Amino acid sequence: MHEAPKNLSDYRKQIDDALQDDFLRRTLDTFAVAYRANREAVFKEVDEKALISQIADAKDNACRHMEELFQKYKEEAEKRGVIVHRAADAKEANDIVIRIARENNVKHVVKSKSMTAEEIQLNTALEAEGFIVDETDLGEWIIQLRHEGPSHMVMPAIHLSRYQVADDFSKATGEKQDTDVQKLVKVARVQLRRKFITADMGVTGCNFAIAESGLVTTVTNEGNARMVTTLPRVHVAIAGLDKLVPTIDDALTALQVLPRNATAQRLTAYVSWIAGAGPCESAEGGKKVRHVIFLDNGRSEIAKDPIFSQIFRCVRCGACANVCPVFRLVGGHKMGYIYIGAIGLILTYFFHGKDKAAVLCQNCVGCEACANVCAGGIDLPRLIREIRARVTEEQGGGVAALLGSVMKNRRIFHSLLKFAKHAQKPFTGGAQFQRHLPAMFLGKHGFKALPAIAARSFRDRWADIKPQVSRPDMKVAIFSGCAQDFIYPEQLEACVKILAARNIAVDFPMEQTCCGLPLEMMGQRKIAIDVARQNIRAFQKERYDAIITLCASCASHLKHTVVKIVENERDISSQAQAFADKVTDFSSFMHDKLGLTAEDFNQSDEKVTYHASCHLCRALKVKEAPRALIASAAQYVPCDEEEVCCGFGGSYSAKFPEISAQILENKLKRVQATGATRLVMDCPGCVMQLRGGAEKQGMDIKVQHLSELLAANLKP
Amino acid sequence: MPPVNQELVEAFSAKAALVNAVVQELPSMAAALQYVVDVCEKKEPAELLADEPGVARGPLGPNKMPTRVQRVVAAPDLGDEDFSVLEEACKAKGFACIRNGLRKHLAGIDVGFSCAELGVAASGTCLMNTDSEDVRLAGMISETHIILLRKSTIYPDLPSIAQIMRQRINASSATYTTLITGPSRTADIERVAAVGVHGPLELHIILLED
Repeated sequence: MHEAPKNLSDYRKQIDDALQDDFLRRTLDTFAVAYRANREAVFKEVDEKALISQIADAKDNACRHMEELFQKYKEEAEKRGVIVHRAADAKEANDIVIRIARENNVKHVVKSKSMTAEEIQLNTALEAEGFIVDETDLGEWIIQLRHEGPSHMVMPAIHLSRYQVADDFSKATGEKQDTDVQKLVKVARVQLRRKFITADMGVTGCNFAIAESGLVTTVTNEGNARMVTTLPRVHVAIAGLDKLVPTIDDALTALQVLPRNATAQRLTAYVSWIAGAGPCESAEGGKKVRHVIFLDNGRSEIAKDPIFSQIFRCVRCGACANVCPVFRLVGGHKMGYIYIGAIGLILTYFFHGKDKAAVLCQNCVGCEACANVCAGGIDLPRLIREIRARVTEEQGGGVAALLGSVMKNRRIFHSLLKFAKHAQKPFTGGAQFQRHLPAMFLGKHGFKALPAIAARSFRDRWADIKPQVSRPDMKVAIFSGCAQDFIYPEQLEACVKILAARNIAVDFPMEQTCCGLPLEMMGQRKIAIDVARQNIRAFQKERYDAIITLCASCASHLKHTVVKIVENERDISSQAQAFADKVTDFSSFMHDKLGLTAEDFNQSDEKVTYHASCHLCRALKVKEAPRALIASAAQYVPCDEEEVCCGFGGSYSAKFPEISAQILENKLKRVQATGATRLVMDCPGCVMQLRGGAEKQGMDIKVQHLSELLAANLKP
Repeated sequence: MPPVNQELVEAFSAKAALVNAVVQELPSMAAALQYVVDVCEKKEPAELLADEPGVARGPLGPNKMPTRVQRVVAAPDLGDEDFSVLEEACKAKGFACIRNGLRKHLAGIDVGFSCAELGVAASGTCLMNTDSEDVRLAGMISETHIILLRKSTIYPDLPSIAQIMRQRINASSATYTTLITGPSRTADIERVAAVGVHGPLELHIILLED
């Protein structure tokens, strides 16, 4: 069991420790790469998207009928001789288990892995009452010997090396143990077999509680759940109310995804389906004593929440951690309380309280990798932002609120940005980077060169550069986003140049402001709605065929999030969808709408590699367009792990500079390995991060927006 | 008897092999029973992982536990006729052949033999009726678990067995159904794959012509 961080500086110290753990870093790195490839391979045989949406529908349906399912389950299970309980919270659940143990004269309890039992901290409760408790899942047993909590929902001991395990096993057996993994596994085989034999009560979790037959279903690879449910005379299964599903079919559908997502297996070695209290030779009367305890702990309330009820689609596969670039660096102990990974950041808030979640929920870079693999199609990044919004509302916003209120007023916000242009002069010497910022200001933020505010913003240049197109084929508007308006106006100018050359009329509505994503990331929901309103209105003054943005993050926010957050704003909610539909990312517009091909470019010999920005490749699912455009204009050299985050994440890189720096360093290593002389992407945030990192490391590579490459090589 | 779908048989074999199951096609029950005896004869004697009163103990095995002197084969779900054939063949080799009382041998037995109700080609999975404790234990405490699967009972994927599972689960008030896909395994230490953490070290599947 570890403590949840109390404040950000405490948390950052913990993170620093994790970043120094070479073994952890190496293990999680290897795992991240292997997992991605293996997962892809086992999903080729099934229709991933269709299965995920089937699971989402089935679990949503189960969530809507939670009470009826519970009643049905109770009826079916009790008909078959099983006793069904319902516990309002952790304490009540523990008390029920203790009562059952006492009534049955139990001394020794064996457990198979159960996150729900971890949630209620059952071991601590049982041990306090004098019961002997042994975990029997290998990973859980190891962390039990170490008095730790799981660092992953499926691989609880992934943070430990064979040497640490050998030490723990040597202590447990009183005999020096070899560090060979195969031998260590057999040590567990011998030690745990004896525990199975002597135990008189078995406790398991429950992957699916199937109402139609009152079934407990357990999914394991080791087979320990079968031992735990077979050998002792008493069996207690603990299930969250969210584990209820109506039919066997629902479980079979989910079983096609759960093992694939968890460990890239087609199916785990064992799936047990237990109905009724069957024969048990060691029990009095030869019949098993079987109890099922359903844990509420806030679930029945969450089930009614229109936004958060989708967390019950979670099947506890752990995939959201497996693909998370932050988990990859810091591991599960630093990325959750009991439940870890993206879903852990959310569940901690609901099951263990906002004081445990307030700091943890900040640690999401927003790359959407989790949403892309979730077995239940849960919109995890959005829910994490929602939690932040709640935490902010409950605590008051501090600096973020001040900044937020500045951003609410476009004029004040933009004047501040322009003022910064003058304030930075002593540090930039007129260059594109802030080279001379005193190191004491930077501290942990010194891993990348920070960009300078442009001498003239795009909005100030617009009157001079607006092209005259006499009989245009299309009329589009540009949504600049703050980064390109004030830091990288040249990226927008490059786009304008291409549009004009292809006979497209371009407009730049001056009333537009920040897209609102940074405000969302800071938990400033109200102000995010205000800026959404300003933007929708700014683009209503004329009819545009498309609203082009060269920032993938702005694009995904404007296209997907705005509609959701203005849902209850009567004055604009009806116009939000039309606005969102017009928003188009640069790559898609150039490739799909304008149809640019190799014939449009003087294709150069230059080796150019690509960084697939999170919001482009996952949130917007734009994958082929930018790569095809690069290949048309130059020599495209793919980069390893091209779709892995650069570590920017907007305000994330300021909040967690250590993590951001590490993700960046790994990214740049892979970029360097391509041998390319130019790295392009379709997002100014990533340009800021990667160009800053490349500059700091003195890499000989040009880091640009894709628009700049295309504009430079465009045939007249 | 439905006709054998050769495509499903091949898919099943390939997927089972991917999870380290040994797949063996055999023409008859007699050949299958002989296979069980052969496997038992060729394997190292089972290690006794715990005390078993009255058992003769041989030299230490690979995990420094004493080994069984007399090998044990358990076949709790065989019909009377097949069981006596197997019992005879075991007796000839000096093996004990049992069909109940497996709880007396929780320290570990050599071979457990059981019959699958059906197979699932997409994952190389066998569905086992393990309502009886002895049948369940035969697949849990044996070092080598041998499953007999009739080729005509292989289904394409999990959704295609839902109705059969429902019927079997609801056939009596207490049932215990197990899907088995490969031998017991773990990757909990450094993600290194290892078999036999709790259950069988080896899983053999006999695909029977029918």
